[in-house]
Amino acid sequence: MTATLDRTTAAHDLRLDVAARAVGATKIYGAGEASVRALDQVSVEFQTGRFTAIMGPSGSGKSTLMHTLAGLDSLTDGSVWIGDTELGRLKDKQLTKLRRDRVGFIFQAFNLVPTLSAIENIVLPMSLAGRAPDQTWVDNVVDTVGLRNRLQHRPSELSGGQQQRVAVARALASQPAIIFADEPTGNLDSRTGAEILSFMRQAVRELGQTIVMVTHDPVAASYADRAVFLADGRIVDDLDAPTADSVLDRIRTLGA
Amino acid sequence: MWKLTIASIRAKKARFFLTAIAVTLGVAFMAGTLVLTDTIRSAYDDIAGNVYEGTDAVVRSSRSLDDDTTNTEVRGSIDAAVLDQVRAVDGVAAADAQLLGIAMIVGDDGELLEASRNRAAPAALAWQDAPALNPMDLVSGNAPRAPDEIVIDVASAEKGGFAPGDTVRVISQSGSHEYVLAGTATYGGVEDGAAQVIAFTPETAATALGDPGKYSAIQVVAADGISESELVRRIDAALGTDELEVVTGTTATTDAREAAAKGLSFVGTFLMTFALVALLVGSFVIYNTFSITVAQRTRATALLRAIGAQRKQVLRSIVAESFVTGLVASALGLLLGIGAARGLALVLEGFGMDLPAHASVIKPSTIVASLLVGTVVTVFAAYLPARKASKVAPIAAMGGAVLDRSATSVRRTVAGVLLTLLGVVALASGLSAADAGMIGIGALGVFLGITVLGPVIARPIARVLGAPLPRLRGITGSLARENAMRNPRRTASTASALMIGVGLVVFITVMAASAKTSIATSIDDAMESDWIVETAWGMGGLSPDATTRIDELPETASVTGIRYGTATIADGTTQVSAFDPSQIEANVDLDLQAGAVAGLDADGIAVRDTTATDNGWTVGDEIVVAFPETGEQRFTVEAIYATGDPFGDYSISNAAFAANVANVVDTYVMVTNADGVSMTEARTAIDAVLDEYPNASLRTEEEFKGVMANQIDEMLNLVYVLLFLAIVIAFFGIANTLALSVIERTREVGLLRAVGMQRGQLRAAVRWESVLVAMLGASLGTLIGLGFGWSLQQAFRKDIAELTVPVSQLAMILLVAAVAAVLAALLPARRAARMDVLGAMQSE
Repeated sequence: MTATLDRTTAAHDLRLDVAARAVGATKIYGAGEASVRALDQVSVEFQTGRFTAIMGPSGSGKSTLMHTLAGLDSLTDGSVWIGDTELGRLKDKQLTKLRRDRVGFIFQAFNLVPTLSAIENIVLPMSLAGRAPDQTWVDNVVDTVGLRNRLQHRPSELSGGQQQRVAVARALASQPAIIFADEPTGNLDSRTGAEILSFMRQAVRELGQTIVMVTHDPVAASYADRAVFLADGRIVDDLDAPTADSVLDRIRTLGA
Repeated sequence: MWKLTIASIRAKKARFFLTAIAVTLGVAFMAGTLVLTDTIRSAYDDIAGNVYEGTDAVVRSSRSLDDDTTNTEVRGSIDAAVLDQVRAVDGVAAADAQLLGIAMIVGDDGELLEASRNRAAPAALAWQDAPALNPMDLVSGNAPRAPDEIVIDVASAEKGGFAPGDTVRVISQSGSHEYVLAGTATYGGVEDGAAQVIAFTPETAATALGDPGKYSAIQVVAADGISESELVRRIDAALGTDELEVVTGTTATTDAREAAAKGLSFVGTFLMTFALVALLVGSFVIYNTFSITVAQRTRATALLRAIGAQRKQVLRSIVAESFVTGLVASALGLLLGIGAARGLALVLEGFGMDLPAHASVIKPSTIVASLLVGTVVTVFAAYLPARKASKVAPIAAMGGAVLDRSATSVRRTVAGVLLTLLGVVALASGLSAADAGMIGIGALGVFLGITVLGPVIARPIARVLGAPLPRLRGITGSLARENAMRNPRRTASTASALMIGVGLVVFITVMAASAKTSIATSIDDAMESDWIVETAWGMGGLSPDATTRIDELPETASVTGIRYGTATIADGTTQVSAFDPSQIEANVDLDLQAGAVAGLDADGIAVRDTTATDNGWTVGDEIVVAFPETGEQRFTVEAIYATGDPFGDYSISNAAFAANVANVVDTYVMVTNADGVSMTEARTAIDAVLDEYPNASLRTEEEFKGVMANQIDEMLNLVYVLLFLAIVIAFFGIANTLALSVIERTREVGLLRAVGMQRGQLRAAVRWESVLVAMLGASLGTLIGLGFGWSLQQAFRKDIAELTVPVSQLAMILLVAAVAAVLAALLPARRAARMDVLGAMQSE
């Protein structure tokens, strides 16, 4: 217990620039013979102001890692942190508040509430908090993703790419500590996908946003500053400034 | 996946329960009504059987008329001398007078021993000596022999602490007198009969219950070897007059049973109306549930069709599901209804109706009807959505959800408007013809028309009603409003179920309020006297003896009784009122339009202006009034008046009334104080007389208005209780729709929770959606109820002159609906809040 405390204090002092991290994160689904170890003692840090891609084949645990980091799922063992908040200690209400105020989400599909207009979807987390959005910032975000003339439309009136742009805008609008994106381009054609990824990279470069993206697409990963590779619930590699080719190389090596 | 499967099974179980309960409650109400009416009917059958047990022939007056207002048959009486003539006929073994009427025992505390209104047995009768005829069996003491001797039932004797030899005060038409208790007896062999029975000697009974020297009828026992019909033939031949008719005992029993059934038909129809309303509301809930579940299964259905299932097979499978649901629910409803019958009886008794005690009667027809109606209603309600599902093209459904275009359908708008208009027309014609069936059809037409229009109007109305929500509740309110508007068809049909119940509640509330103000106004306008003595309804009225004694008090100046009888005038049965022509104008304003009432002697009649106009009568015209007692009599129209309450359409003098009606009691006594007598002094003096008449109460004008208002409120409360079930079913419908919608929106719930919606906020959104749907139904219902109330008041403006809209009561109804909506949302909201965020987002 004392050892843990020492370590966390040290971590707090030394790594102020860490937006989120996992320490010995372990997730086991099921029990006994049929149990599956989705995460196995994963420790990883995500620096503020960087765009990180989590890569890995299906079943590697990359989605589970993201879900536990984002407060959508709980760990069997170990701990995850957003800034200096340990998520495992939070009750549902605090966890929800954390997701609302300090985390942004971009999902693969069904990102938007169908009954709300684009702008209502964008400011949804702040509306839920009962907080007035920073209008200048929201305008800035809306213009960045080019949604100015689509704000009053319902999701059903928007194309798939436009819907994802709304999702990106929502994630950015509340200026969260970190944005988690789960295969954000998985449902888009390559041209629209590239557009979305550019927006995300722009947000990191120009706005100083922190983004962690789960993907299995080497091209998508090439937009990131860093690529973390998972296999069988463990981190197997870590690559700075990945390109599509270097990522493909790694995947081939790991697969072999 | 496993988790989801369990959730889905559990959801289906809840859905089955919610669907079934809508049918179950309606069927329970219906079965309860059938069981209750059959039970009461057979109790009355037993009573009719007791009255005529051992009777082979009955001699009675051939003059009778059906009183439509009380649903009873009024028959003339016969001369006492006929009894001796009948006894002398060869073949008659025994004959006794029959006299049935109303009398009341006063307890030692000076109050009525039995304060109920509606009796199951004749309250008072003439003792019959022939053992074969006498329905009473002595338990102690002797039969009544002297004029002041009586026998009462064992239960009443026990309740009042009376034993043979004691003095017992009895109130009847002849006054409040003390009698000597000769003995106690059982009636119809039942120890603890539900109602009080008093037996007088035939002579005393004639004075106390009818006309001195007259009997209601004569019951005859045949000598050995003489058949009923032979006996009837012999007596008929011996009497030889058209004034009297002789019927067999069997016929008399059947007549009595039919009369009892007729008197009861109102109770049955009344209750059955509410049971049908509950079933109608239930059918909306079923329709809705099947619509939603069928829509949610569109993909599965399309897959079935794609792999070769016939349209018919799809239809059949859904209909089969509804059939099983309907049958199981109806069976449960039937079981519940048998218990509910007792509950209904308790409700009616709670509202002052005295029902006879009898073991519950469950006829096979009740079982068949309950199962049949419940199942048919369910299958019918499920058929439309099933047909729609079967029409889904195999490929179309594989894509996404079908767009709900009903909100903008022109055909729907036209059909809805037409149906509503047809309903209005039927309602109007039903009202002008006073045809209850047509009124019901019209009301149903309006409800269905608005229901068809529902999806078209639901969105704009929900937008308006929900407008304050986003401002009051922020994003939670916006989501609630948008969710209520996103599927107008579903919202509309859910709200429609509530609309029907609230519509009827508002209608009856408006009617009651209007009746109250109209009665208060008419009392204000007409009552000139200081006092009115009133008697509780159904308690037989006040003996003219009391009226005379009040008149004789030095504290009173002008006194008149007002009494009512039944007669046939201008081919219709009607009530005829009577008063003392020399005193009435000092006490009640007749608002005379022509002529004068002072000259109403034995053959003068006063007619209400509307009735005179309808018939083209003016002062001096001669009209024929047929009384059950004396037959056709000629009267001259002496006056035309405008005051409806308390006179009704026709008024005659007390003298003419006494000459033509057997049973003379005052319903009201109007009293004006002598000059210089204070209200307090007058009250003390009049109360001293009324001390002997605990069935009567002395009221000032204000007090009387209060009494009338209370009576209306009591009726209103009874109707509220009976409509309660329909409204409960409607709220089950709201809960059901919400639960299904929440399941349908699982992914959306997951997303909202992921981006930071708190459980409490989610619950609030579901709650506000529920309130909005309920308000939609309640506000439409309020509008329809106001419309019905207005049209009925217009149709009856002769009696209900003013339309009163009780705003605070209506606001209360809306508030209660809102609170109920919050309760209905409890479970669906909890289910939504408890969803696992990740699981919900990943669900299909």
